[in-house]
Amino acid sequence: MSQSEYLEVFIDESEEHLQAINDNLLKLENEPDNMDIVSEIFRSAHTLKGMGATMGFEDLANLTHNMENVLDLIRNGELEVTPEVMDIIFDAVDDIEEMVTDIASGGDGSRDIQEITKQLESLQGIETEDAGEEVAATATAAPTTETSDEIEETFDEYELTVLSQSEEQGYKAFKILVTLDEKTMLKGVRVFMVFETLEEAGEIIKSTPSAEDLENEKFELSFVVTLLTHESKTDIQKRIEKISEIASVKIEEVNVKQEKQKKLALEEKEHQEAQQKEEKGTKGKKEKKPSQQSSSPKEKSSSNKKQKGMELNKTIRVNIDRLDVLMNLFEELVIDRGRLEQISSELNNNELQETVERMSRITGDLQEIILNMRMMPVEQVFNRFPRMVRSLSRELNKKVKLEIIGADTELDRTIIDEIGDPLVHLIRNSLDHGIETPDERVAKGKPEEGIVKLRAFHSGNHVFIEIEDDGAGIDKEKIMNKALENGVVTDEDLEKMTDQQIYSLLFASGFSTAEKVTDVSGRGVGLDVVRTTFESLGGVVTVDSELGKGSLFSIQLPLTLSIIDVMLVEVAQEKYAIPLTAIVETAIVEKKDVYNAHNQKVIDFRGKVVPLVFLDEIFDAPLKNEEQDFYSLVIVHKGEKVAGLVVDSLIGQHDIVLKSLGNYLTNVFAISGATILGDGQVALIVDTNELIK
Amino acid sequence: MASVLVVDDAAFMRMMLKEILEKNGLKVVGEATTGDEAVRLYKELNPDLVTMDITMPEKNGIEALKEIIAADPDAKVLMCSAMGQQAMVLDAIQAGAKDFIVKPFQEDRVMDSIRKVLR
Repeated sequence: MSQSEYLEVFIDESEEHLQAINDNLLKLENEPDNMDIVSEIFRSAHTLKGMGATMGFEDLANLTHNMENVLDLIRNGELEVTPEVMDIIFDAVDDIEEMVTDIASGGDGSRDIQEITKQLESLQGIETEDAGEEVAATATAAPTTETSDEIEETFDEYELTVLSQSEEQGYKAFKILVTLDEKTMLKGVRVFMVFETLEEAGEIIKSTPSAEDLENEKFELSFVVTLLTHESKTDIQKRIEKISEIASVKIEEVNVKQEKQKKLALEEKEHQEAQQKEEKGTKGKKEKKPSQQSSSPKEKSSSNKKQKGMELNKTIRVNIDRLDVLMNLFEELVIDRGRLEQISSELNNNELQETVERMSRITGDLQEIILNMRMMPVEQVFNRFPRMVRSLSRELNKKVKLEIIGADTELDRTIIDEIGDPLVHLIRNSLDHGIETPDERVAKGKPEEGIVKLRAFHSGNHVFIEIEDDGAGIDKEKIMNKALENGVVTDEDLEKMTDQQIYSLLFASGFSTAEKVTDVSGRGVGLDVVRTTFESLGGVVTVDSELGKGSLFSIQLPLTLSIIDVMLVEVAQEKYAIPLTAIVETAIVEKKDVYNAHNQKVIDFRGKVVPLVFLDEIFDAPLKNEEQDFYSLVIVHKGEKVAGLVVDSLIGQHDIVLKSLGNYLTNVFAISGATILGDGQVALIVDTNELIK
Repeated sequence: MASVLVVDDAAFMRMMLKEILEKNGLKVVGEATTGDEAVRLYKELNPDLVTMDITMPEKNGIEALKEIIAADPDAKVLMCSAMGQQAMVLDAIQAGAKDFIVKPFQEDRVMDSIRKVLR
């Protein structure tokens, strides 16, 4: 498995965990006393840390580690959940998100985390100086790695008595110098394992540094243990070597007489040393307290037991490319099915017909399953908005509540991927231009807190996404003036326009109604981009508003992109498909009803002037059909604009599979793709948006 | 060839570990994502070795370890922990885990530990 595949999983899982953290943090803000939520966040941060460290993203690992410490304090009730604390944690999450994004786009995920680290540490009550002294204290407490051959160890009166007594009872006493691997992590546990192993073999009467210091990792790499045992030196050696991360073991038998002499000689000196050691030891302990509490172990395990995480769904991860391939293969199958159906009806063989019918049913079911597999809940996109609204409303000094309705509504993955940014724009817009400041709202007799509703729901073959706010609404006059000023429309145009059409001017390029340009929105670019993005997905954007009450932006999107409903038409003996979403209606007009206006053929259709577009001219169709007295028209729209496409004949409505034209034919004017019909003919799919200017 | 059951809730970690194990001639016979699953799979597969993550949703690694040891006192369980889980690792060792490895995993470190546990 290659590094890049790891990376993919790493990024996927990191994003999942970040999302979980974000969601849970927002929950925590509402229920600051719910420790289950803190545990959930802690778990996500912990997993992130582990993954980050494994991939060698140190900044990521360090930052999550620090965040974890703060969360632990909260969990243990030592830190209160205040907005300030939440802000810092949110900032940290932002930083982590940046790193993951950087990694996803090929970077090394490094980032300047000094500032945020300092903030997190200040929450933990750690000051950097402490760490330094602590290390110094530890260093002196630990025995220095031996230079002489003999293991240095001194025994006090009591210990010497024990030693000589056990010697009499036939025990051997060993001084054991254990040196840990320098890469050892969790040294305390390692020491514990050594102790445990040795206690199986005999009795430990002494260790230097003390067992307590060892457990608290107040030593460098080596320590000395004195053991009373019946076992041989080599047996003991073997036992210890079984433990991992042990660099070396040195065992020496204790000579009790020698030790007694040594003691006398050293007594005076040792006395002084012991005093010093004690002083430093207590000092170190005091300073270490805050950080020790932060990883206070016992409580961690007990609250961990309480964890009742979310239910796990059994899923497998499949690369979206594979699903695309599956979809493609299936589409081929649908085309062949069409062929088969036609052949079987021509041959009129009963058995063949039955089989083909069966196959049709099965492929129908298959189609549903494959399409469903590509469907994802819009939650994917929606769940980043609560965070955004939170920070944005703080930035703007507004009070806004975001309500999300129908987050489980499903949409094709391809569409999900595209709608994120434009939705961000629309929501920002609602917050910036829609919702008023608390003062204004109170003055208007509205509740201080504004409400933005984000709603998604199914309707027929479409999914609707709506963004509704109870803000100021859109000022029609302002739009009209601005539109005139910017030359987007003329006076004449305006007179004929409905309210809806006027609101739609918001989406025209080069238009902005905000008097003040803020960081958030109002640079006059964007809303037209929003509209274009949705339209390229086969979507339609509409706006409705009531001044003073609020506005509603509604986006209609197709359920899926690859299989679409079309109207098949014939133009000069070639077949074309026109997406049903673009069609207003079909009509037949007599030639005498066609007028010329500004060098353009138009008709008067239901009181409106509709320009005609001759498809045979546009597509340079070689074969002309006989002239008829009337035109067959397909009236299509793009936003509010309409046009009549002139075709030779209308064939009917079909479900077709959209195929791209491939890499050889890019940028073909007004053709968005092709499809293969049941009889094997190819029909080009008309991109009506390009035909309407 | 020794058989291993890999337990971790993060697919990433399982993948990482699996690669290290398989590269060194061990056979990963099962993967579990929760403590409950680990206990169930242990009984079903009876692997020579279990690598057990500590932090997992629902049932954590230590509880799963205890259940496995209760069912099979000779079970060889290797705990996987991250920095800062000292106490939990201690708990695990006391509960009968044979050794522990610390994330981020280093291949030589992991294999050293596994060889010692399997010996």
